[in-house]
Amino acid sequence: MASDSSSASSSSDEEEESAGQKPNVDVNINSIDNSLDAIENQLSSIALNTPIDERTLPSTDYHQEPVSEIDDGSSRESASEMRRNSIGESSSSRGSGLWRNNLGVEVEVEPEADGELSSPSSSGYAGERGSSSSPTSACGTDVVRELRDNGSSIGDDGVVPLDPSQTQWIRGKQHADEDDGSISWRKRKKHFFVLSHSGKPIYSRYGDEHKLAGFSATLQAIISFVENGGDRVKLVRAGNHQVVFLVKGPIYLVCISCTEEPYESLRGQLELLYGQMILILTRSIDKCFEKNSKFDMTPLLGGTDAVFSSLIHSFSWNPATFLHAYTCLPLAYTTRQTASAILQDVADTGVLFAILMCKNKVISLVGLQKASLHPDDMLLLANFVITSESFSPICLPRYNSMAFLYAYVHYLDVDTIQIEAVLAKSNVLNEVERSLSEGGMRIEDLPVDPSANSGSLFHLTHRKTPTNGTVTGVGGPAGLWHFIYRSIYLDQYVSSEFASPISHPHQQKRLYRAYQRLYASMHDKGVGPHKTQFRRDENYVLLCWVTQDFELYAAFDPLADKGVAIRICNRVCQWVKDVENEIFLLGATPFSW
Amino acid sequence: MASRRRMLLKVIILGDSGVGKTSLMNQYVNRKFSNQYKATIGADFLTKEIQFEDRLFTLQIWDTAGQERFQSLGVAFYRGADCCVLVHDVNVMKSFESLSNWREEFLIQASPSDPENFPFVVLGNKIDVDGGNSRVVSEKKAKAWCASKGNIPYFETSAKEGFNVEAAFECIAKNALKNEPEEEMYIPDTIDVARERQQKSSGCEC
Ligand SMILES: Nc1nc2c(ncn2[C@@H]2O[C@H](COP(=O)(O)OP(=O)(O)O)[C@@H](O)[C@H]2O)c(=O)[nH]1
Ligand SMILES: [Mg+2]
Repeated sequence: MASDSSSASSSSDEEEESAGQKPNVDVNINSIDNSLDAIENQLSSIALNTPIDERTLPSTDYHQEPVSEIDDGSSRESASEMRRNSIGESSSSRGSGLWRNNLGVEVEVEPEADGELSSPSSSGYAGERGSSSSPTSACGTDVVRELRDNGSSIGDDGVVPLDPSQTQWIRGKQHADEDDGSISWRKRKKHFFVLSHSGKPIYSRYGDEHKLAGFSATLQAIISFVENGGDRVKLVRAGNHQVVFLVKGPIYLVCISCTEEPYESLRGQLELLYGQMILILTRSIDKCFEKNSKFDMTPLLGGTDAVFSSLIHSFSWNPATFLHAYTCLPLAYTTRQTASAILQDVADTGVLFAILMCKNKVISLVGLQKASLHPDDMLLLANFVITSESFSPICLPRYNSMAFLYAYVHYLDVDTIQIEAVLAKSNVLNEVERSLSEGGMRIEDLPVDPSANSGSLFHLTHRKTPTNGTVTGVGGPAGLWHFIYRSIYLDQYVSSEFASPISHPHQQKRLYRAYQRLYASMHDKGVGPHKTQFRRDENYVLLCWVTQDFELYAAFDPLADKGVAIRICNRVCQWVKDVENEIFLLGATPFSW
Repeated sequence: MASRRRMLLKVIILGDSGVGKTSLMNQYVNRKFSNQYKATIGADFLTKEIQFEDRLFTLQIWDTAGQERFQSLGVAFYRGADCCVLVHDVNVMKSFESLSNWREEFLIQASPSDPENFPFVVLGNKIDVDGGNSRVVSEKKAKAWCASKGNIPYFETSAKEGFNVEAAFECIAKNALKNEPEEEMYIPDTIDVARERQQKSSGCEC
């Protein structure tokens, strides 16, 4: 499966691949003209020509260079690992170690030790950890390696097929040698840029920021030109490309994409990208720009490439990025309560909150200020800690975008001690492992009469683990393939496991994009709120149902009968309600924003 | 190699139209010269990487159009510039007389934190024309003006022959650097949770 997962990761990330058209090399992309016509020309030259789905049209028909050029991330991978290695070294000099186990991630966020509030718990832990942990100098790379192992071993069980996510980001920035003159660069399906209001590049998903300085200046000129007319540029369409702009004070964010994602989704992704930047630096950077418009923030972001590539990658697999909700690891109610009780002890020591997570799934979350933790912040935090040191300053943009908190991050597994001992004794970690290997809600298990059941996902002692990759069935009843249920009140969602009709990462990504579109169309302010939507295309029947309490997104076999599908959706909702104390974190006060 | 971080320098080139701004930039970046005159419309951007005192720099060069009617990029255009290059044609008196206006225009629009010491460089271009016989702005005159504006470095160049262009841009980079301010202190606040609690979650900014 190791090789399986790596091939999956490269092939499933469509943006990685080229769109296969000859770029229009004649147009000088680094110049801007005063007339709007010229700006349009600009954009179409930035955006190149009509992109063509690379699956239907092999790019090799047109030219030879990209294929070999596009997958040589290995040399740069080692370079980025080296960079992160040095982060590891600096963290070790702070004397706090990082336990690099992968079962759960515990994050405590606490105020700065200050006066009466001396945050006893975490500083104490940090000390013990420093002495008991393995040599920290290599921790950056170790984390990377272990997570990678983790990804493939879970893949082995076939339970988390959605795993293209887990290896890709690790490489950090890819194709760093490209610039806007490279044909391969021009063919990337989705670019992200961050630049300052003076036109200096801050971040680019692909290519070297400095080499893209001219391109960056062009973007700034376009934005300022429109701004000068008292207007704001939000979206420019050029052929199949969309250029989406987001201005956040002195920071400009731009996405150029031919993925056909809705504008609202792309814009949401830019918001998250900005949020991630704020999580790392806080909005105090605005002040630096105010004082000195030449301010260069790239040094402050040094070594964070992996965080951004990981986030950008999650835009194509993690529903939390557009649902604005988080998801929990399915667990027996008592297990989660046990975990919460243990975390509560931690939280009582003066931290803002404590979360126990498994990858991007929450096991438990406690804390006085729970109400202030926005799901987007959780997403950004989880994305950040994957690559972070054990004790690091972070900002939660939705909590307070101007200031830092300190996050204590600790990786746990069954063999380790302290908190974990308590967790292990109480069987929480074993249960977590079991949930990971057995999966949560499987559509094959959708009860005929949900309420008649025990109301538990875990009463079945011997649930079959699906055999990976082999088509054993056609999904759930009546052609149900998949669903996502989002509880509006809880700000949480649950997603069914992927059944065989969508076992391939390509299929999963396509479904993800379909949900994303569905979500955007259901939330389109111009059209007004929809209650239900039923659409059939060659790939699926998609059904969406929005009420005051929940949103249900379901995918069926394209031949599914409408009436039956609606009945199945009712059953799914009932099922979710029956097992809600295992799939959701209940009892949390509703988030207050 | 214990190299310090790379730096990006934003350089803006100003001057009347036809004095050779675009040509100078092309000569410097691409080592090319064309006799064809093609008016720059709006702005043009070129970049060049240079090594200087074992540091790597990227010059982000913003070429402008001299024509008054194309000045609409305004503030946004000049913002965050590290150096401003003023160009005149030594064969055209009017282009020299405009330098003051260009300088002022820049200082107003860019409003740099320390205008007195903002790095300018003046280039007297096209010294090759007619073997220097049609020249109307003498080196002495140009230097006197530069001295009066706080000792602005002055170079005589020919974009056509490539004369002095490299040296001029090296000085531009050097000056941009000299003006590099003490690294901006970046000290964000930390949250005092105890106080926040008393204020009943007023910390939420949404
Ligand atoms: N002989 C000569 N001609 C030059 C020189 N620099 C520019 N030119 C010519 O002057 C004209 C205007 O140059 P250009 O760079 O477009 O000026 P700009 O409007 O300031 O950008 C063009 O025809 C150039 O070929 C130079 O150093 N010597
Ligand atoms: Mg010009």
